[in-house]
Amino acid sequence: MKLASIDIVLIAIYGAFVLAIGFRLRRQMVGSAEFFMAGRSMPAWVAGLAFLSANLGAQEMIGMAASGAKYGILTSHFYWVGAIPAMAFVGVFMMPFYYGSRARSVPEYLKLRFDEKTRGFNALTFAVMTVFSSGISMYAMGALLALLLGWNIHACIAVSAAVVLLYIALGGLTSAIYNEVLQFFLIVFGFTPVVYLGLRDAGGWPGLAARVPETFVHSWSYLGRADANPMGVEWFGMVMGLGFVLSFGYWCTDFLVVQRAMAAESMNAARRTPLIAAVPKMLFPFLVIVPGIIALGLTLHPNPGAAPLLPTLADGSYDYNMALPMMMSRYYPAGLLGLGLTALLASFMSGMAGNVTAFNTVWTFDIYQSYIRPRQSDAHYLWMGRMATLVGVLVSIATAYAAMRFNNIMDMLQLVFSFVNAPLFATFLLGMFWKRTTGHGAFWGLVAGTGAAALHYELTNVTGAVSLLPKIAVMYSYPSDMAQNFWGAIVAWTTCFVATGAISLGTAAKAESDLRGLVFGLTERSTDRERAWHQRPAVLAAVVLTLTLALNILFW
Amino acid sequence: MHLDLRYPIGLLLTTYGVILAIEGAVVQAMVLGLNVNLYWGGFMTACGLGALYLARRRA
Repeated sequence: MKLASIDIVLIAIYGAFVLAIGFRLRRQMVGSAEFFMAGRSMPAWVAGLAFLSANLGAQEMIGMAASGAKYGILTSHFYWVGAIPAMAFVGVFMMPFYYGSRARSVPEYLKLRFDEKTRGFNALTFAVMTVFSSGISMYAMGALLALLLGWNIHACIAVSAAVVLLYIALGGLTSAIYNEVLQFFLIVFGFTPVVYLGLRDAGGWPGLAARVPETFVHSWSYLGRADANPMGVEWFGMVMGLGFVLSFGYWCTDFLVVQRAMAAESMNAARRTPLIAAVPKMLFPFLVIVPGIIALGLTLHPNPGAAPLLPTLADGSYDYNMALPMMMSRYYPAGLLGLGLTALLASFMSGMAGNVTAFNTVWTFDIYQSYIRPRQSDAHYLWMGRMATLVGVLVSIATAYAAMRFNNIMDMLQLVFSFVNAPLFATFLLGMFWKRTTGHGAFWGLVAGTGAAALHYELTNVTGAVSLLPKIAVMYSYPSDMAQNFWGAIVAWTTCFVATGAISLGTAAKAESDLRGLVFGLTERSTDRERAWHQRPAVLAAVVLTLTLALNILFW
Repeated sequence: MHLDLRYPIGLLLTTYGVILAIEGAVVQAMVLGLNVNLYWGGFMTACGLGALYLARRRA
C-alpha cells in the first residue's frame, strides 16, 4: 500500500486537530475534578459517543473485520448479544449507584460499598491491565503500519505516544473524551465507503450471501450445536458466557467505559450515556463485520479478472487480520485512503488515551491518595495525575517493546487478566442489589472466582490447539477457544456469586445507614415521568432492546 | 461544557470534505465507475457545514 501526498496531509490534519483541542482545554484544567472527571460537565450525547468510542480501539476495528471474515455474521453476537443488553442494564440500573454515590472511580465505589481491600484488589489489577492493554494496542498498530505502509515501527510508537501524552497531559479526561467523539465520526466517515463499494462489487447482500457459506449469513440458525457453526459455540454458552458474564462484566464494571458516563453533566445524562451509545453500537456490525464477510466472499468467489482479496499465510490459511486493510487498499483511491487510515490511527490513539485516562485516575485516587500520600492539596493530585499520565505512557511503550520481543508473554498476561475480569460482575450485582453482601464476601468471592477461572483453564483444553500455559490435567476438550473462554467465564461468575453470597451470610453486614445511595432498595429512585420520552432511560432502553431484537430476527 | 464540540467536528468534516472533493474533481479517480472522492467529499462537506450551523445556532 503506497500513500500519496494527500493521504499524508489528511493524517497530519487529524494530528493537528487533536493537539489543538488539548491546547484549547489546557487553561481549564484548574483542579483534579476538571482533569480526572471532566468537571462532570459532559452532555449526554458527547459522553455517549465517548462511551462507545473508548471501546473502539484499532484492534477492535481490525479484529472484528477479521472475525467477520472468519465467522461471518455470527460475530454480530459481540454487539447484539454481547453489548447492547449490558449497556441498557448499566444505564437503567447501575448508573444511579455509580453517579449517585459521587465516587470518582469504580474502585472507589467498591470502597464505599464494601471495604478498602476490595477497592485495593480492583484498583491494582485494573491499573496494571490498562497500561498493559495500552501497550499491546500500541504495538499492534505499529506493527500494522509497518506491514502496510513500510513505516518504521519505532517511529510509529514514539510519535503516537507523544501525541497521546501531550493531549491528555494538557486537557485530561475532557481532551480524551472530545477526541473519542472526533474518532467516532472519523470511523463512520472513513469506513462507510468501503462497505458500500464492497457490497456493490459483490452484487449487494444477495450476491454476497451467494459467495460465502450459508452459516456466514445467519446469526442464530446454526447455534443449536457447537459443531454446526464456525465459532464452535452453542447458544447457551453464547448467551450465558458472552451475553451475560463477559458482556455485563465489561460494560457494567470496567472503569474505562464507565468513566465516560460518570463525566456526564447530570444523573439523567449519565443514565442516558450508555443508552445513546447503544444506538450506533447496534449498527456497527454493518461497518466493521460486513467488510470482513465481503473480503471472504470476494476471496472464495472473486469477480472475473479480479484476484482473491485475502492474502494467505505460510500454512495456507487466510490472513483474516488483513481483511479491512485489503478492502481499503482495493477500493480506496488516494484521498479516501488517507481518510480510512486516519480513522484507523484515530481509533488506535483514542483506545490508548482511554486506557491512559482510566489509569491516571485509578492510580491517583485509588492507589496514590489512598495508600501513598493521603491528605495532600488538590494541586498536588492534579500534578500527580499529569505524572501518572507520563508514567502510564512510558509503561505502555515498554509493554509495546516487550510485546515485540515476547509475543507469548503478552498473550499470557491477557489470559491471566481475563481470570480477574470474569467474576467481577457477580460482585457488583450482589453488592448493588443485595444489602446483605459484605466486604469479606466480596473480596473472597472475587479471589474464589479468579481461582475458579484459572482452574477451569488448567483442567480443559481446545481440540487441536497449543495451550499458552502448561496443563495440570485435561478433563474436557472444547471445540474452540471461544467456547473455552465463554464457559470459563460462566464457571468463574458462578463461583464468585455463590462464594460471595455464602461468605456474606457468615459475616457482619454494614449498617443500612452506611449503604444509602449505594444499594438498590436503600437509594431514592429518580422519577423521569415528567421528561420527554427520549430523556427517560427506561423508555430509551426499551427502544434500544426492541431494535436489537429486530436485528437478531432479521439475520436469524 | 468547555467547548461546543460541534465546532471541531464541523471544522474537521468540512476540511476533509473539501480536500476530498477537490481531489475528486481534479484527479477523477474512478472506483467501480464512481468518482468516490468527489461524492464522498461533497457529502462530508455538507455534514460538516451542518454541524457548524447547529453550533452557531446554539451560540
